[in-house]
Amino acid sequence: MNFTFSHRRLAGLLAIVPANEHSFMDEMANFNAPVGRSLKLKEVMGYDKHRIVDGPVCVSDLACFGLEHLFESGSLGRDDFDALLVVTESPDYFMPPTSNVIQGRLGLKHDLFCMDINQGCAGFLIGLIESFLLLEQPSVRKVVLINADVLSRKVSTKDRNSYPLIGDAASITILERSDDPAPIHANLKMDGTRCEALIIPAGGLRLPSSPETAVLEKDSEGNLRAKDNLRMDGTAVFNFVQVEVPPMIDELLAAAGTTAEAVEAFLFHQPNRFMLEKLADKMKVPYEKMPMNVVEHYGNSSGVTIPLAIVHNLSERIVKESILACLAGFGVGLTWSSMLLKLGPMDFCEMIEYK
Amino acid sequence: MEEFYGKLAEILEVDQVNGNDVLEEFSEWDSLSALSVIAMIDAQYGVNLTATDLRGIDTAQNLFALVIQKKGV
Repeated sequence: MNFTFSHRRLAGLLAIVPANEHSFMDEMANFNAPVGRSLKLKEVMGYDKHRIVDGPVCVSDLACFGLEHLFESGSLGRDDFDALLVVTESPDYFMPPTSNVIQGRLGLKHDLFCMDINQGCAGFLIGLIESFLLLEQPSVRKVVLINADVLSRKVSTKDRNSYPLIGDAASITILERSDDPAPIHANLKMDGTRCEALIIPAGGLRLPSSPETAVLEKDSEGNLRAKDNLRMDGTAVFNFVQVEVPPMIDELLAAAGTTAEAVEAFLFHQPNRFMLEKLADKMKVPYEKMPMNVVEHYGNSSGVTIPLAIVHNLSERIVKESILACLAGFGVGLTWSSMLLKLGPMDFCEMIEYK
Repeated sequence: MEEFYGKLAEILEVDQVNGNDVLEEFSEWDSLSALSVIAMIDAQYGVNLTATDLRGIDTAQNLFALVIQKKGV
């Protein structure tokens, strides 16, 4: 389905990454695979360093740390926003919503629309679409959109399929109305029949966690993971992305009446370097227009990778000028979504470390 | 066909791949090389194979036959 918006802007962006950094070279010994193949994997996928929370850090910890930073630096007033959206797959609790936990911890006002959204790799796009919809209401002056995940806590350290790429992070995006009448185009598709391609099988009510679900099981490649852990069917996800994403971008550009050449930056979810190179090849987009370096620096933090791609690669430019960007997220659900919009000039675009 | 075997040899890091060679018998055959093969077939032939498609295949020539068959559809 297609969406169009106007008079909306991303006013600011803050990324929060854990200070704790792991390296693939140190972790190789945990995997049941020949060293040569692990090094090949590192080279092809672009695995290197990734940020992992140190200890039982939760989404609300990263989010409160980031919001306090914005309050203290004067980038955001405590009472200046009327909606707080949290997009996560690793909430503090089943209930209450993590957005309410954050509201309470920071003592925010009662006139606040708090909402959690369970979404993953397309979570930044879903969050933007929801935020833009909320801004239809005059009583909503600004929306604070928090994307955050600490999925390292749900990935087996002995799973070479997922652990080398996982990263923890949060981002806070401030959305507000603007004077710009230029249309913002977006589209979104979902396919729940493929929902098991990315899944944490146990821990919900379908299969509650128990001593049995904590037992590590070996897959055909020697990876050890439990039913409590995140499980990714890497080949199925790769196929999904290569088949569904290029036509989605074609449709988006056609709806906007523009071409790929006019787009200055393709800011896509960052699963790994390999998948992004193949996407760029297929779409005939030059690599320099599509950042692919998030996984090697921070890991794949689900819905936070697009904000990280922006802050890591474009922060200096984006506080000064406007960039025509094509955003795309794809993953858990399965969900795939894209948006074409002018990013910047933002009031701030920065990264801080959580310690 | 020669070009296809050449690309397979590159991915499997061997000098040569013959039609009768069984994919699973190569030391470099794992999920990473399988993914590389799927990506190569997509890029070169515009055919999207799934992991299930690949699991049903034993030799290099049967893989090539599957690609040609899917391309024809």
